[in-house]
Amino acid sequence: MRNSTLRKIAPALTALLALNPALRADELSDLRQALKALEQKILVLERKQELKDEAAAAAAPTTPKITVNDKGVTIASADAVNSLRLRGLVQLDHRAFFNDNGAAAGLNNNGFVLRRARLITEGVFAKNYSFQLVTEFGGSAVSILDANLGIAISPALQFKLGKFKAPIGIEHLQSDAWTFFNERSIANNLVPNRDLGITAGGDLLGGKLNYTVGILNGLADGASTTNADFDNEKDVVGRIFASPFKDDAGSALQGLSFGVAGSYGREKGTAGRTSGYRTDGQQTFFSYLATTITDGPNWRVSPQFDYRNGSFGLLGEYTVSTVNVRPSATGAKSELQNKGWQLAAGYVLTGENSSYAGVVPATNFDWSKGTWGAFEVTGRIANVKIDDQAFPLYASAASSASEASAFGLGLNWYLSKAVAFKLDYYQTNFDFAPGAPAVPSAAVLRQDEKSLITRFQVAF
Amino acid sequence: MKFKLSLLTALALAGAALASAKSIELLNVSYDPTRELYVEFNKAFAAHWKAKTGDDVTIKQSHGGSGKQARGVIDGLPADVVTLALAADVDALAEIGKLIPADWQKRLPDNSAPYTSTIVFLVHKGNPKGIKDWDDLVKPGISVITPNPKTSGGARWNYLAAWEFARRKLGGDEAAQGFVAKLFKNVPVLDSGARGSTTTFVQRGIGDVLLAWENEAYYALKEFGADKFEIVTPSISILAEPPVTWVDKRVKKKGTADVAKAYLEYLYTDEGQEIAARNFYRPRNQAIAAKFPDNFAKIELFTVDAAFGGWTKAQKTHFADGGTFDQIYAK
Repeated sequence: MRNSTLRKIAPALTALLALNPALRADELSDLRQALKALEQKILVLERKQELKDEAAAAAAPTTPKITVNDKGVTIASADAVNSLRLRGLVQLDHRAFFNDNGAAAGLNNNGFVLRRARLITEGVFAKNYSFQLVTEFGGSAVSILDANLGIAISPALQFKLGKFKAPIGIEHLQSDAWTFFNERSIANNLVPNRDLGITAGGDLLGGKLNYTVGILNGLADGASTTNADFDNEKDVVGRIFASPFKDDAGSALQGLSFGVAGSYGREKGTAGRTSGYRTDGQQTFFSYLATTITDGPNWRVSPQFDYRNGSFGLLGEYTVSTVNVRPSATGAKSELQNKGWQLAAGYVLTGENSSYAGVVPATNFDWSKGTWGAFEVTGRIANVKIDDQAFPLYASAASSASEASAFGLGLNWYLSKAVAFKLDYYQTNFDFAPGAPAVPSAAVLRQDEKSLITRFQVAF
Repeated sequence: MKFKLSLLTALALAGAALASAKSIELLNVSYDPTRELYVEFNKAFAAHWKAKTGDDVTIKQSHGGSGKQARGVIDGLPADVVTLALAADVDALAEIGKLIPADWQKRLPDNSAPYTSTIVFLVHKGNPKGIKDWDDLVKPGISVITPNPKTSGGARWNYLAAWEFARRKLGGDEAAQGFVAKLFKNVPVLDSGARGSTTTFVQRGIGDVLLAWENEAYYALKEFGADKFEIVTPSISILAEPPVTWVDKRVKKKGTADVAKAYLEYLYTDEGQEIAARNFYRPRNQAIAAKFPDNFAKIELFTVDAAFGGWTKAQKTHFADGGTFDQIYAK
């Protein structure tokens, strides 16, 4: 009973008692006192609750906020100026290759693979300083993939220092969890992976233009830094990416972004050449001879675009990678130019939006509720052409293909934002340089690669 | 030509003065009932400092239970000065926080307490329960409002005043502990600070008597009407000496040592003492106290030093973990 209610009924009770001549004055007084005592008890209870509420409100500004959702576990200070986020990525794949038993011993390449198992720690301190540490437990060895520090001067000027993805390939820059396919396209072979250095970048024109410029140690195609520079030279990298229609609500071009990225530097030494270009099934189809060394300028240029319109998504890039090589330390130098491109598309059958940052299902898969998450179909074509001059002086025509053309078809089932099941079929056809033997010495090249890669993924 | 030259000189001087004028901010971390006192005092000091140095000083205020405020400063609340309810809380800044020297109390006159106060009773108009002295508070059916001695300096003064009254009347600490235990059985709500208790009694209508700082009792009369409440002066009470000091580590880091020290010293000036007296704090300057005869009741006062051997000892015996208050309240 509220105190106000009590106050209202007290006079009525008193009046009622007064009307009853049987009641004595002292009984009336006792009743009044009892009511008064009851009123005090209620007031005390109300005040105690008020004090509790005040204490809770006072404590709130200093209580850190802990959030657990499909973006990970975030612990943020009450003022949101400092935060720490734990994320993870686990990808368990099964790879099955078809019609590749033509080799004498056959190819032993079917099986389960722990493709990625990452623990990701990110933090922000004093609002403008951030860090990222990505440890990889999948693959063949434990490694630190990313370790970098961010300094945000403003949205238009942000520095990044440490180890991170070189800002060149558009698909390469996309999160491993949100690409259309389980594996990035063969065109991705032509851009460097994770490098060490410093970049500056930011958003201009209200986010319609994004830029990155930087100086990195410099890497061969597809390579990741070993935490040491293999020469004294550096690569200058840059990327400019525009989304000119991003604010034009309703326009068919609203989701169109395009740009160009590139790098320029000099390399010298065996580590400057790529360790190999890989197929969608992650088998090597091209590599330089062990005697080949790089010596001289290398540069890349990569025009690229991304388009999203409702459930439909389209991503494309064309990359030219140029490297100067010698067949030996004293051999004649040649400039080789390898080219690659890809066009990948996806359509979310269940109506959710296609996005560079992944599909968010409208409902999670829940058997008891009869909801199924989101389904997406994907398709891709891609090509990589090796410079004709590479053969036979710098690469073996018997063990390397001169061109790879691939297509892929996929079905992605997003059980929730964090959990997905993906099924991709890839086929890669190979061409060879003139003079190549009828039966290549590399077993993987003796037939077109046909593979089915399934993946169970948890990404948060 | 002369006029132009003079004008230019004046402008240049004004510009130089403006360029050199500093804008300073101080944080005064204080106990619960001093809000009104420091609102008035801060204005006066800012004007004084501006006239003296040309600098603009803004004083921010933070109020709460004295013990709670002291812990806040130790935990990082960036106080330039503290004006707390009792010396034990300031001692904690030296002992636990290492923010001030141990002999901080000797840095300003009168043990760094520029004004004093005492504890009185605020009762409903007409004093319906007939409360006249401390022993009325332990009678059955009397509802007493006092804050929590663990967090409130005022509550600790209340506690010690009751204790000393009982010790004198009943003889010995054991009897005093029993007396105070009975008193706390009559306390239905423990607020964290003195202002909270005033709210409980005056605005929420809980209790028969509020144990209040003298200044807080007068504040309640002034704010909520002398027709609703009245002050009862007990036979004896405690001389409360709320101390002040600057927080050395913080002012050194901020470069505000001079202004922080001047701020506290200004409390001892005639203007500072008058402001204190106007706000029902007993000024040290007796000539100024004499100007406000209606603001302070005549009452026999004892000191913590005389009755309890000082605040360090009193704190340890009564309010530290496992002290008499814990023993009483655990029951």
